[in-house]
Amino acid sequence: MKFKIKFITLAIISLFFSKLVSAETAPGFGSWDDVLKAADGGQVNVYMWGGSDAINGFVDDFYGVPLKEKYNITLNRVPLAGTVDAVNQVLSEKEAGVTGDNGNIDLIWINGENFWTLKQAQLLYGPFAAGLPNSKFVAWDNPAVNLDFGRPVDGMESPWSSAQFHFMYDSARNNYDDMPRSYAELSDWIAANPGRFTYIRPGKGGFVGTRFVKQIFFELSGGQEQWVGPFNQELYDKWAPKVWELLNSWEKNLWRSGETYPKDNAEMHSLFANGEVDLDFTQSPRGAGPTNTAGTTPPTSRAFAFYDNMIGDFNYWAIPYNAPNKAAALVYANLVLEPELQAAQVQPANGFCCGWGISTAKVTDAAGKAAINDAQNNLGDAAEDQNILAKALVSDIAAEYQDLIEADWEANVLLK
Amino acid sequence: MNSNLKKINIYAIYLGAIILILPLIAFFINAFSFRWFYPQVIPKELSLQAWVRLKLIPKSGQRSFEGFIDLWASNPAVIKALINSLTIGFLVTVVSIIIALPAARVLGLLNFRFKKLIIFIMVSPTILPPIAFVLGLNINFISLGFSGSFLGVCLVHLVPIMPYVVLTMTGIFANYNPDFEHQARTLGANKTKTFFLITLPAIAPGMVVAALFAFLVSWSQYLLTFLIGAGKVMTLPLLVFSTASSGNPALTAAISIIFIFPAILILFFTSKFVSGESGATSGFGKI
Repeated sequence: MKFKIKFITLAIISLFFSKLVSAETAPGFGSWDDVLKAADGGQVNVYMWGGSDAINGFVDDFYGVPLKEKYNITLNRVPLAGTVDAVNQVLSEKEAGVTGDNGNIDLIWINGENFWTLKQAQLLYGPFAAGLPNSKFVAWDNPAVNLDFGRPVDGMESPWSSAQFHFMYDSARNNYDDMPRSYAELSDWIAANPGRFTYIRPGKGGFVGTRFVKQIFFELSGGQEQWVGPFNQELYDKWAPKVWELLNSWEKNLWRSGETYPKDNAEMHSLFANGEVDLDFTQSPRGAGPTNTAGTTPPTSRAFAFYDNMIGDFNYWAIPYNAPNKAAALVYANLVLEPELQAAQVQPANGFCCGWGISTAKVTDAAGKAAINDAQNNLGDAAEDQNILAKALVSDIAAEYQDLIEADWEANVLLK
Repeated sequence: MNSNLKKINIYAIYLGAIILILPLIAFFINAFSFRWFYPQVIPKELSLQAWVRLKLIPKSGQRSFEGFIDLWASNPAVIKALINSLTIGFLVTVVSIIIALPAARVLGLLNFRFKKLIIFIMVSPTILPPIAFVLGLNINFISLGFSGSFLGVCLVHLVPIMPYVVLTMTGIFANYNPDFEHQARTLGANKTKTFFLITLPAIAPGMVVAALFAFLVSWSQYLLTFLIGAGKVMTLPLLVFSTASSGNPALTAAISIIFIFPAILILFFTSKFVSGESGATSGFGKI
């Protein structure tokens, strides 16, 4: 009985807190006007993976200019070789006892394990996401948004854009109709085209390769649904041997007989572009468009997706606990959710490669709607049919699987 | 026999030069190419797109004099990083020489207990990989307030630089005869005058070589700059690394050209001091 009362009290308290969480403003500010006032004249230090000059240019042009002109905020974009560098910086600052507004980093482009590391160590500012005026465009009820690699976001990061795994082929070498549409078909394709396929090695920098392997678990086990939720060792142990068996059965027909694998996207694109392999990976809703524009894949490259189990996810902005200019960081995180800017990031001409961070259906004003429609009708012929992508979309699963797959792949496939 | 040997030597030099120069040529072709894939031996499409993306050359249509002025006045990241790299390199070179002068003089001229040990400790940063000490150093720098500052980056660059500068200059002082200074002093010159008229000219060639080492080591620092600068002090190596991870060979080549050009220029102007005929390198063996 006593337990029950306790439970109810707890439930009420947590309800109360969840109300607070979804309150209108971010911690430390009374209203959005307070935020704007505090941000005026400041500098926002944005730490992000700098490996794509298309993304870098987009941030400078589409965010840097309005930040300066509308909000009098100077954008300082810091390119990183990997997001983990920023995470380590925050961890070092924590260890050195840097608190308050005395850190270096205002925003980190983040998701997955890096987010979880900082959130778990309580090194993030927030919850702030619901306090952004443009949060109303975000589909917070969608588990693909409110869970990041299966872990609750809890308002500690705010979405920017989305990506979905699928494939590229070169229409000058292969036909769309001949492309495999499942891992089973891919197995046959590899056997019929020895030496013409490889995949990115799961591991550091090879996150897309890990994703490629993760999807095999889904297909072999009959669907992604059972993998949603907390990490399940038993389920993993049941299917992992079958996955390694399949990957090993490919090995003799892979590029260089599977003795070595490309380690990141850049190497994979290079193999594909130079005609050493026939398939490549993309994460962009525009398929081969971004790499075709950048000239890193042949201009005849096109996209195709399997009919099932293509993992899609969102990426976010997080603010460290000791960010020097939290107000400016909030303004930035809000700005990137503006419907017109979201439409701009999907427009091929602007060179950005990722997809929507907002739910386009939630946009009601005419200008925003027009921009969104224009972008959606303009994806270009290097993109896969958006209906096929939408039908195949599944969310990513708990982050523990990631480490496990990477370590076990090395032991059971690479070093076997 | 002797002339044959000479011929072989000359061929070896040619071979060495080709090995050194070929990658540079590949850099240049890459930096102006677009979609240069196998099996094209030379690129089919030439393009300035890499330079446009680096914001060093305006987009086509704006390539007028004003276009260049406007673009360069917008302070492109590459120019900012180039200026930072040059400034840091110059500052730490000067500071390292000032610190190394007295140390090298003592190590080169005097014999004392534990001299070998002291030299070993001074050289240790060249043996240790930077990652081994910089993570701990980073925490100290953060708590001292040096993190993310220009000063902090300059200070941390001194760590890998000092061994090279001290060792090079110790070699000079090992061959140096302080009696000349005594002579000047007995002839009435004061300490400052003696330094500028006697000591400095004698050690100048060695100092140039030490300065060259100092500058080049500073010029190529990635990890130390990144961690201590916390990304706020942007130098060329930081841009080169993040660009290289993009997998766009034209862009990587273009930024690499900007990265190696100042280094080559400085090597060119100091080469006469580095070659064997100079007095600068003669004292190396006698530390």
